Amino acid sequence: MNQMTHPTPPALFSIRDLRLSFADRAHKPLFGPAPRVEVLKGLSLDIPEGRITGIVGESGSGKSTFGRILVRLLAPESGQVLFDGKDIGALDEAALRPLRRDLQMIFQDPMSSLNPRHRVWRIIAQPMKRYGRGGDRAAAITALEKVGLSAQFADRYPHELSGGQRQRVGIARAIALEPRFILADEIVSGLDVSSQAQVLSLLADLARDMGLTLAFISHDLSVIRHLCDTVVVLHHGEIVDQGPVEDVFEHPQSAITKSLLSAIPRPEMDESWWDDMSEPA
Amino acid sequence: MTMTTAHAHTLDIINLNIALPRGQRLLRNVSLQLEPGEVRALVGESGAGKSMIGKAVLGILPHRIKRTEGEILLEGAHLNAMTPATRRSTVAKMSALIPQDPLTALNPVRKIGPQITDPLTRIHGWSHQRALARARELLDRVHIRAPDRVMHSYPHELSGGMRQRILIAAAFAPSPRLIVADEPTTALDVTVQKQILRLIRELQRETGTAVLFVTHDMGVVAKISQKVTVLFAGRVIEDAATRTVFENPAHPYTQALIAATPTPNVSAEPFQPVPAALITELHRETLAADALYAQRGRR
Repeated sequence: MNQMTHPTPPALFSIRDLRLSFADRAHKPLFGPAPRVEVLKGLSLDIPEGRITGIVGESGSGKSTFGRILVRLLAPESGQVLFDGKDIGALDEAALRPLRRDLQMIFQDPMSSLNPRHRVWRIIAQPMKRYGRGGDRAAAITALEKVGLSAQFADRYPHELSGGQRQRVGIARAIALEPRFILADEIVSGLDVSSQAQVLSLLADLARDMGLTLAFISHDLSVIRHLCDTVVVLHHGEIVDQGPVEDVFEHPQSAITKSLLSAIPRPEMDESWWDDMSEPA
Repeated sequence: MTMTTAHAHTLDIINLNIALPRGQRLLRNVSLQLEPGEVRALVGESGAGKSMIGKAVLGILPHRIKRTEGEILLEGAHLNAMTPATRRSTVAKMSALIPQDPLTALNPVRKIGPQITDPLTRIHGWSHQRALARARELLDRVHIRAPDRVMHSYPHELSGGMRQRILIAAAFAPSPRLIVADEPTTALDVTVQKQILRLIRELQRETGTAVLFVTHDMGVVAKISQKVTVLFAGRVIEDAATRTVFENPAHPYTQALIAATPTPNVSAEPFQPVPAALITELHRETLAADALYAQRGRR
């Protein structure tokens, strides 16, 4: 975690002036087009290769929308999304197909992202087969073992697993494809503190051992602090802070980051926490 | 009707056991007290039974889950000795719930106003004018800027933080003796969470209402409560003043829960999972306690 072997690793993603807006149907006038809501207002950042980049912000900050553009589940309205030097922002589905294996995702809710009718090994093996990377039972078990689940889990169904175990299966499915990039969107927010700590330390170990490039979306700055190398703080679709985790947490530049940090209730007796009134009204 | 005794605890749970129909135990000999004006946190991981305690007090346990043993006293009155109808009206008059998910707790096809005033007129027998005035007062107290406009809105027209503030206003409106807050900030952003915790704390101090605060977050426990009950698998693991729990936790499981809580401190050690050996030991103790309980039941 947080080790800096190369001071400036090459960027896997270079994003320049990324913009996206949605039509606001709730406020559409009777005649004429619906007004647009700007979700991302010109983001520019690099995601370094072999590092964990944290993307943090409150609900409505645009962090998940941004993540979905990285794995091209959404297309940007304007701006550049360079993946390994190639602009993937404007590619159509056919042109994206050869890149799909390299852009994997781990979802927030494993119960809805793992097929309830499939055994664990098949959940992992099916995409491997789809992308022509083997995909037999043995390969699935190898992936399971990498996430700390023994072979006996291969024949279970998702509902027979705990929340933490399900999230490990989601991780196994992603890493089995050996992608160049993994997006993890709020993957520990539904877990108890102890399974949360387990999944995070697993992810940190895997990232170090396999040299994964990971974007980790979370609303929880404490989790970002312990997992990520660099962090980007989003607020209303704009970047308000970015840099190495230590710098941003020790010397936050924006009032937003400061209030996010000070609002965290720490597990210690400290009445002065209440004195800070910087939260929004 | 059971008589109310002087100097009673607001809430007194004595040796409460609840179980599934086949006898699987969900709460194991749980005892705890809540004094007037006190906030007691119920903390534990999922399945620890923390929400179950609140549901047992309010009499809203799922119908298959039954109390097998133990007493619940609200201001000295034995809830279990009452007829279901008396119990319902006693609980409704004396207590309120702040639920986790404000969207499912509010009726989506009714305006906010009547959802706050209805319990005041129907359960507490207030006049419509008095209920309306109190609703306005409380909405203003929870920093809702245009109370009249909000009272004419439907739940889907409001943000999550606003809906949670409305439920807090509704819970405190009749100044109940007891409020059960069931993970009221779990779905919220940290800044909104702080705002909601502040409101609960302020209103609770003003009204002298005792709060049973269910949470899984040791950080929230440290800020909001004066007493803590730590639960594991339906058992009370530790019961102490909040300061004692954080400065000198007696049980290794309490220590482990604190160590597993993430903090943003740059210098802090990365948070540690609860050791597997400790969990195994706790489960072993639970099984042993269950065996003893079953043996005693047969005699």
